[in-house]
Amino acid sequence: MLRFATRPLSRRFRSGYRWVDERAGTTDLVHKGLYEAVPDRGAWAYTLGSATLVLIVLQFFTGIFLLLTYVPSFASAWDSLRFLQTSDRFGNWVRGMHLWSAYVLILVIGLHMLRTFLSASYKRPRELNWVSGGILFFLVLGLAITGAMLPMDNAGYWTTVVVTNIPHYLPFIGDAIRTLWRGGDFVGPITLTRTFAIHIWVLPFLLLALIGAHLYLLRRHGEFGAWVNYSTTTDDPDREIAERIRRAEPPYPTLRIERQYAAPRKTVGFFPNQLFKDTVVSIVLVAIIFVFGFIAGAPLDARADPATLTYVPSPEWFYLPLDQLLVLTPQTYLIAFGVFLLVGLGSLALILLPFYDRSPARRPLSRPEVLVPGLFLAFMVVILAVLGVNRLYGL
Amino acid sequence: MLAASLTAVPGNLFGNGLAVALVVLLHVQIATFITGASTLAVVSESIAMARNDPRHARLSHDLVKASAYVFTFGSAVAIFFMIWVLTALWGLFFVDLQRITFYMFVFEAAAFVVEIALLYSVYANWGRLEAYRRARLGLLVLLAVVLWFQMFFINVVASYMLTPNGGDVNQLSQVLNPTFLPLQLHRTVGNIAWAGAVLAFYAGLRYLLATRRARREAAVGTVPARSVGAMSASRFAPGSPPPAARDSRLPYWDWLGQWGVLWAVGLSLFQIWIGYSYAKEVQLHAFPAWFRMMRGALSNVFLVQIFLLGMIFILGTLYFWRRMTASGARGTRTQIVCLVIIVLATLLAIQPAWFALSLPDVQAAHLDRPWWDGGLLNPIGDFIPNKVFALVVIMLCGLVAITSYLRAYSRGEVRMGETTRRLQGVLLALGVTVSLMMATMGVIRENSRQPFLIHGELRLQHQQIVTTPPQAPP
Repeated sequence: MLRFATRPLSRRFRSGYRWVDERAGTTDLVHKGLYEAVPDRGAWAYTLGSATLVLIVLQFFTGIFLLLTYVPSFASAWDSLRFLQTSDRFGNWVRGMHLWSAYVLILVIGLHMLRTFLSASYKRPRELNWVSGGILFFLVLGLAITGAMLPMDNAGYWTTVVVTNIPHYLPFIGDAIRTLWRGGDFVGPITLTRTFAIHIWVLPFLLLALIGAHLYLLRRHGEFGAWVNYSTTTDDPDREIAERIRRAEPPYPTLRIERQYAAPRKTVGFFPNQLFKDTVVSIVLVAIIFVFGFIAGAPLDARADPATLTYVPSPEWFYLPLDQLLVLTPQTYLIAFGVFLLVGLGSLALILLPFYDRSPARRPLSRPEVLVPGLFLAFMVVILAVLGVNRLYGL
Repeated sequence: MLAASLTAVPGNLFGNGLAVALVVLLHVQIATFITGASTLAVVSESIAMARNDPRHARLSHDLVKASAYVFTFGSAVAIFFMIWVLTALWGLFFVDLQRITFYMFVFEAAAFVVEIALLYSVYANWGRLEAYRRARLGLLVLLAVVLWFQMFFINVVASYMLTPNGGDVNQLSQVLNPTFLPLQLHRTVGNIAWAGAVLAFYAGLRYLLATRRARREAAVGTVPARSVGAMSASRFAPGSPPPAARDSRLPYWDWLGQWGVLWAVGLSLFQIWIGYSYAKEVQLHAFPAWFRMMRGALSNVFLVQIFLLGMIFILGTLYFWRRMTASGARGTRTQIVCLVIIVLATLLAIQPAWFALSLPDVQAAHLDRPWWDGGLLNPIGDFIPNKVFALVVIMLCGLVAITSYLRAYSRGEVRMGETTRRLQGVLLALGVTVSLMMATMGVIRENSRQPFLIHGELRLQHQQIVTTPPQAPP
């Protein structure tokens, strides 16, 4: 022990690392993580996945800081956040970062899904990557909406009232779900406790488990990239593809896929090429969040007033399309069957996409059967959001 | 006497209204085509550059030429007629409107200047810019953006007239009035759809003209055309090659026709929801106007609009079905099913909710009960949920029809040049239907404000007030 303590600092670190490495295999792990091939073309588009991961980590860090102050009780939740906003030097900034990183996360994860959709990366054998990613998207939306309920200001309270009432429109089991969530017929202290538990335990647990599965599957099959990485250039495509497969670096060739798509034409190392691009994009996004968190912070309305008759609740921007859809379908049975059916089937169709789009085609223009409805849906969501903004904020 | 005649508004309300309606409807069809065509030119030029596609290269050039010609005529209409009609026949209203929306008209005029500079520059230098295609594309993008903003400014004025929102005292409220954004969205999408319909119409017409010539030549070459019967017989003689095989331009007109239909029908899918949202905003912020549109004197005109909307999808699906059949493509059964469902849904959607001019008429006659109880109400025609349901069905079936057609096209099963002359009639009908649809919408929207010119603020009758100048003492 004395010999260890008297060595120079760098040698002490080295030997300490060796000690850990012999037991935990850290070097192997780092090698496996960093030294893998990725397709050469379209590398900037692949940064959205790692940016999503960085933003989720940022959510966890800022969330832990908020937990140090926030009190999940009906009576004190608003006061604790008020204290954080006014008396804590960095409180408003951290809360702002938590909010803005959630907003950016939803955008980035949406773009990531769009990129995967356009490049048909979800096809065999990467179906489970898509399914886990799709569920992650809905979990993030769930985290965002449960997070919006927690401040117990007017916005949070009325969001809770509206959101916990939505299951009521479900036939047969709707009322039971509402009562379970609310802890009674009305929104009260138990509703907040349950929502808090969902926000910081249930959903993050599922999120972490699925992120692990998603990353494992990504590494198992390798990044698909896009169709441009798999085109052939010689007169003998079969021979060219065979040669490509023979020379492929891990994790390629991908198994159980059409031969043409088993190995990209040209690959680069994840480290340093891809990692550099990932880092640049993530730093830019985190910097934007820092700035927005500092300048705009996070809003805190007046303390919740269940008796108010003048407050007009407005949903978070990412629920505006759904809200607008609800506004346009004003009758109960239309909401029950139209919206639930539409949104429910739409979500299911999104998650199960790889199981019905099984054609080998990868080019977007070669698969209009999914591209046209997909783009139609995407445009509809944008249009409904714009109309929702117009209605709620007078734009 | 002379002074009094100088201040008098010439004509009467009906005549002046008719004059402005005719001129504005013409103006709108021209202006929206140019705006939509500029966007389609950008799309075609981009595709032409990315894929080296000669058809798109030709189309982008044709669109710029067409925009230049139409703009030349359209600006003449705008200057000589629109300003004359508005200032001479609706002077009091137009001065008021200019005063209130002064900045919007200034920006509009400025955008006009930029549009002239850009459009004629690109038109005149198209060949010279061939070596600088990126720069040319940049100019086209700029033109499309300027035209979009031009529409933006005029939409502020148009939407302000329906939902003023205190815009006469606050410029920001004027721009952000409740119906502005839905109108902007509606026209952004609609302009491109209209340009697509014009393309389809033009392609159909050119195809018919080209094949007529080719068939005449073929008939003259084979059988002495002594009679109409003999000529006709020669056309359908077994073994004679189809006209498409004889004219190298026909595949282009065929391709252009389907390209136009895809834009016209594809973007109309969005119009159902955007239009519905627009009506919702009118209901919330200008209830009397909404009432007049949906339950008042215009409610039956609204049914015509729904009929025309259904016809757009019927004609579009009919085109897809017959076009696929002409090439022997797979998936025609899907098109037939979609067509049948769209026809049925349209029949449901055009059901009147009452058998009278308006709902107040029914109520005044104390016959507001279902027709099977001896009343004049027809619950089958209720907007919610029946018409909403029908519109959603039309939208979904239209989406399936387009997807099915594009699927066949992407597999190479739809070959250009294999269309039929009869199918060109569908393209012509589609163009006319979209044009009528736009006109009907204009009539409904502009008349819904009655008796106001600016909703809740400026009455129609104020136009006719003539101030007599003070008489000189004898």
